[in-house]
Amino acid sequence: MLLRRIRLVLVVVTLVVVQTTIFPSLRVFGAIPDLCLVATVAMAYEEGPQAGLVFGFASGLAIDLFLSSPAGLSALAFAATGYGVGVFQSGLMRESRSIRPILGFVGGLVGGTIFVIVGAIVGESGYLSLHSVQVVIVAALYDALVSYAIFPFVRWAAHEPGAGIAWGGR
Amino acid sequence: MVIARRDTRQRTVLILVLVSSLALVTLDSRGSGLIDTIRDAARDVIAPVQSAVDTVFSPVSDAVNGVTNYSAVKDENERLKNQVAHLKGRIRRQRAAGADVSDLEKLVDLPRVEDATGVVARVIGGAPGNFEKTVQLDRGSGAGLEAGQPVVAADGLVGKITDASHSRATVTLIDNPGFGVGVRLENTNTRGIAEGRSGESTLRLSFLSDLTVRPKKGELLFTSASDDAVFPPDIPVAKVVHYDKQPGDIEPHITLAPLVNLDDLQFVKVLRWSEAKSSKRGNS
Repeated sequence: MLLRRIRLVLVVVTLVVVQTTIFPSLRVFGAIPDLCLVATVAMAYEEGPQAGLVFGFASGLAIDLFLSSPAGLSALAFAATGYGVGVFQSGLMRESRSIRPILGFVGGLVGGTIFVIVGAIVGESGYLSLHSVQVVIVAALYDALVSYAIFPFVRWAAHEPGAGIAWGGR
Repeated sequence: MVIARRDTRQRTVLILVLVSSLALVTLDSRGSGLIDTIRDAARDVIAPVQSAVDTVFSPVSDAVNGVTNYSAVKDENERLKNQVAHLKGRIRRQRAAGADVSDLEKLVDLPRVEDATGVVARVIGGAPGNFEKTVQLDRGSGAGLEAGQPVVAADGLVGKITDASHSRATVTLIDNPGFGVGVRLENTNTRGIAEGRSGESTLRLSFLSDLTVRPKKGELLFTSASDDAVFPPDIPVAKVVHYDKQPGDIEPHITLAPLVNLDDLQFVKVLRWSEAKSSKRGNS
């Protein structure tokens, strides 16, 4: 249980470092992926809605500390997305590998949209614009691409041989 | 029974998480010292790891940028050569007038950009998010940087510091949506506000003090002088690239291009402008 939590913290720290160091210079049409959002989707897919919710809140809060937007905005968007994907995944075929990029894309769209709408409500300038729609879509496509690397990483971290679910049930 | 209890617990956690998130957003929007302290501590803790990763990966990202932007770099090189030649001539023409202005400024003892000492910092990264235009500096409050200080590059204004931890600082760039700079037009001294726009690398000039003025294409804009200005006066900010006024428009649509290439910043200078202003006031 403790080892599993350490691994999950390691996942969040690694993704935050990669997000803040490498991806700012790898923009595609002005967008970069939300690595922690994809990890949240992966967590929800592997462990269910409550795990997705809690992991989304924690990882969102971690990336919020490095953004100029208000702290809690990513946490809210990621947590809601994690919960939604967790509820949705219960009806999916577990064996299908092609579902990962689709979930990455859908999660990116949902998380990005919540982020933009709540951000606009709390008064962030320029969030409600056509450009934001373009950025959310491109970022979601990018999320789909990076999901190939992040899903196995999260699966490795969340896996606990012979134990129950630590971050909450489905 | 067990399923019902699990659902209730799940719903409680959901509500708790959503309420906590909204509370954090509200607190931070209103400016919470505690959240700022945590934010600064997190940035300082992760700074050495970021530096190590940056050292390893910067040659890779430089190579990727070099390959993808080769044509743009070649064009820019040609453009810059022409610009240098043009500016050399312009400096010669302005030298005589500049000496007179400098003498007058000394007489009235106004604070000038030359009065501000600066800290040179290296740009170590761009914005880690999709909805902000910021860069990270390799220096922070430990080197005397603090929120609100203006940041310049060789060509002109870059932005201002919006957050500074002990070893890192965040600069919000002038093309960030919602960012506004008080400016004056080169030829007419008409004042206005240059504002960043969502999804655009250009700025918009609005709130003109004289709505009848029609700036020329290429005309420069400098930071304007005012008593409580965040920026020192006369820093080059942008140039006019487009003017349009349709019948019925109250204000013309004037588009500006920043003079600094904000996508390719290497080193910047952070000005201790508030200290310079204070010492000038103290002397007078």
